[in-house]
Amino acid sequence: MNIGSLISALPGAVAQGLIWGIMAIGVYLTYKVLDIADLTVDGTMATGGAVCVMMLLNGANLWLAILCAVLAGMIAGLVTGIFHTAMGIPAILAGILTQLSLYSVNLAIMGFKANQGINFRTTRILISSRNVKVIGFENPIFIMIIVTALLIGVLYWFFGTELGASLRATGSNEHMARAQGINVNVSKIIGLMISNGIVALSSALYSQYQGAVDVNMGRGGIVIGLAAVIISSVIFGKIFHNFALKLMGVSLGAVIYYIVIQIVLWMGLNTNMLKLLSALVVAVFLAIPYWKGKFTKGARHA
Amino acid sequence: MLDLINISKTFNPNTINQKVALDGVSLHLDDGDFVTMIGSNGAGKSTLLNAIAGEWPVDSGRIIIDGNDVTGLSEHKRALWLGRVFQDPRLGTAATMQIIENLALAKRRGQKRGLKIGVTKAEKDEYREQLATLGLGLEDRLTEKVGLLSGGQRQALTLLMATLKKPKLLLLDEHTAALDPRTAQKVLTLSDQIVTENKLMTMMVTHNMKDAIRYGNRLIMMNAGHIILDIKGEEKQKLTVTDLMEQFVKTSGEELSDRALLS
Amino acid sequence: MKKTLIICLALIMCLTCSTVFAGGSSEKAAKTTYNVGICQFVQHVALDAATQGFEDAIIEALGKDNVKFNYQNASADMATVTTIINSLVSDKVDLILANATPPLQSAASATDTIPILGTSITDYATALGMPLDGTGATGINVSGACDLAPLDKQADMIKELFPNAKTVGLLYCSAEANSIYQITEMEKYLDKLGIKHTRYAFTDSNDVASVTQSACSACDVIYIPTDNTAASCTEAIRNVVEPAKVPVVAGEEGICSGCGVATLTISYYDLGYTTGKMAVQILANGADVSKMPIEYAANPIKKYNAELCKSLGISIPSDYTAI
Repeated sequence: MNIGSLISALPGAVAQGLIWGIMAIGVYLTYKVLDIADLTVDGTMATGGAVCVMMLLNGANLWLAILCAVLAGMIAGLVTGIFHTAMGIPAILAGILTQLSLYSVNLAIMGFKANQGINFRTTRILISSRNVKVIGFENPIFIMIIVTALLIGVLYWFFGTELGASLRATGSNEHMARAQGINVNVSKIIGLMISNGIVALSSALYSQYQGAVDVNMGRGGIVIGLAAVIISSVIFGKIFHNFALKLMGVSLGAVIYYIVIQIVLWMGLNTNMLKLLSALVVAVFLAIPYWKGKFTKGARHA
Repeated sequence: MLDLINISKTFNPNTINQKVALDGVSLHLDDGDFVTMIGSNGAGKSTLLNAIAGEWPVDSGRIIIDGNDVTGLSEHKRALWLGRVFQDPRLGTAATMQIIENLALAKRRGQKRGLKIGVTKAEKDEYREQLATLGLGLEDRLTEKVGLLSGGQRQALTLLMATLKKPKLLLLDEHTAALDPRTAQKVLTLSDQIVTENKLMTMMVTHNMKDAIRYGNRLIMMNAGHIILDIKGEEKQKLTVTDLMEQFVKTSGEELSDRALLS
Repeated sequence: MKKTLIICLALIMCLTCSTVFAGGSSEKAAKTTYNVGICQFVQHVALDAATQGFEDAIIEALGKDNVKFNYQNASADMATVTTIINSLVSDKVDLILANATPPLQSAASATDTIPILGTSITDYATALGMPLDGTGATGINVSGACDLAPLDKQADMIKELFPNAKTVGLLYCSAEANSIYQITEMEKYLDKLGIKHTRYAFTDSNDVASVTQSACSACDVIYIPTDNTAASCTEAIRNVVEPAKVPVVAGEEGICSGCGVATLTISYYDLGYTTGKMAVQILANGADVSKMPIEYAANPIKKYNAELCKSLGISIPSDYTAI
């Protein structure tokens, strides 16, 4: 167990964290801004990659493929939105239904193959785990920092517009939003579309990074996304108040999550216990605000 | 003007909890009418306001605001004509957004919201001025999140938001009931000021009979889903609390509930 | 201050937990010459056997003290695969064994210098997203052994054991590319033999039982390829097929001993062993992995499950070996 090997594994962990950080930002938008627990992401996290990889393998332009992946994610968000608003299905169930259907849809997109490899040697892709130690523009860490910054910039602008403000109002106080003439159903649908589009972007990037799209690659994604959101709100909650900084904090939360996993692996932990450990890490971070509240109250009484 | 034609609403029909909340209520308001509404609990006052706002569809009857039949419109579509302040101070504002953002939202009530910037520089100055008229020091706290304000401050803000874009009809639903007496008085005075200055058509529900007599040019008393008293102008000005109580017993054949008596 | 305290607390929790569970991943060796990283996708009999065969072959050739294995199991989680590969690559191991398709893909993406050997992989070309060259090598830093048992011979076995079968149900997990590949090929051979076939795909271990039930009600025989998910829930399958008296022909021995009557199996241990010998060529004799053609399974053996054959009343020809 030498520290050198941990340090040399960190760039890979950071790169993974930044890519999942994009997905976590998508989860943050529905969970914290719109106040909806959206489980569609487990499905969308594979859809983006499926669309992107299949298009790339068929010779499509790289940027077009990524754009189509985002659009596919937005359609998934639209479906969940319709289930929830027009059909009155509770948000969590609506998300589960879409995610369930996406399994079949993803398989179909992949030509009924459950797994499709993509090779950086033969196809032009944006990022690959190959370049994690390279000092230069191809380094996924560098690319992801730029992508994350661009995304945060766009979202910061959007949520400052009238439409964006109406989305935030819907999430903050639905009753008041209606009284101000906001169609809250439309707001929710737009929010779900944006969020799932972002998750699909993350998926497209991740499948390029790891060299394959697999129909199960999104499984458990919502847990990682929520873990990142919660870690960031616990650690950065008091420092970051600006919306843009909060989003950055979410991305950092995902990076921290993956660094912790890498540390755990480096310590020689039996990887079969990894899932248990992830759950414990999330539980601890969730408990921290609760314990903080208890201890402060106790101090006052004493 | 406002026209309510034979509005009826029954909650939980055909069950044990069935309640006839509104029973064929008809009402006509002229522009500039400031109506106070009183009645015992469950009389139907808040229900009437909610029916006008469109929180749920009425069973029968029509609602016409300024010549527009809004009976079939959903709540957010009717917002174009209405300004509302609720009893719960938390309901009228978005706690996680800034004061200035809340005002900007209210200014665009009923408009299509696009990708233009949410709060323009010119607006900031306008809001500062408006907030100063409240006299609560909020004009110096423009970028603070509304959740940090006290109940009275939030109600004052909600009131300002409801009237920022002059509504055709202002609905005040016991909006001072959850505040302490001093703040309640302040908000009430503010309400009267804004309504009188802008000659807004207003319906104000209150449990306080003195306030009901003191404010507005018209008084309506409801009981069991009916309007049982409708007094305006000079006759209203000469009313006393005792008169009201007598009238109530005479027209409804019941005793007034304790809460109304205590105020 | 409080914040740092909380962060430290959380990290200490992780540390404490891991010391409780630590151990079981790498062998200790005094002096090591070769570092070999192993990433196994999930735990089940066939993959475990392949890993064992691989390790044994290397130890036999190079000696126990000259090799250090870093074995990691990804518990069927894709993100974990990437994390494991990331640590193997950053540790600069001398060779990576990718046991199953996801580790192979992740490794091929993460490095083009470290030699990668795959095992328990059915179709390298699809997995890597590129065709093999004329000699059957990949031309990149990947080679390995393929677990494809000759599917035509498996179709023949079905015909031999059940000559009166009208419909064969093809049972597999829709999430496994390897299975889909085998099913597609199998259908072609069954067509040649004039036997009708229907696909029955389940999504995961949760709907195995109900899908198997559908297959039993419509088919005379069921065929299961080398499907990782099926291999993990043979009990569930057996609980449906045995009372329904529908025989199962399996693509490998592990599945057969769990719920099947017969199999044309390759030994996954032997497959791992073959992969191990390739590793020795690379490590000790400096062979170029990009020129090594993919090796295929050695002679397949006909095997049968005596208990289930008795229970279903099936008689097996003498050239079969009992499991």
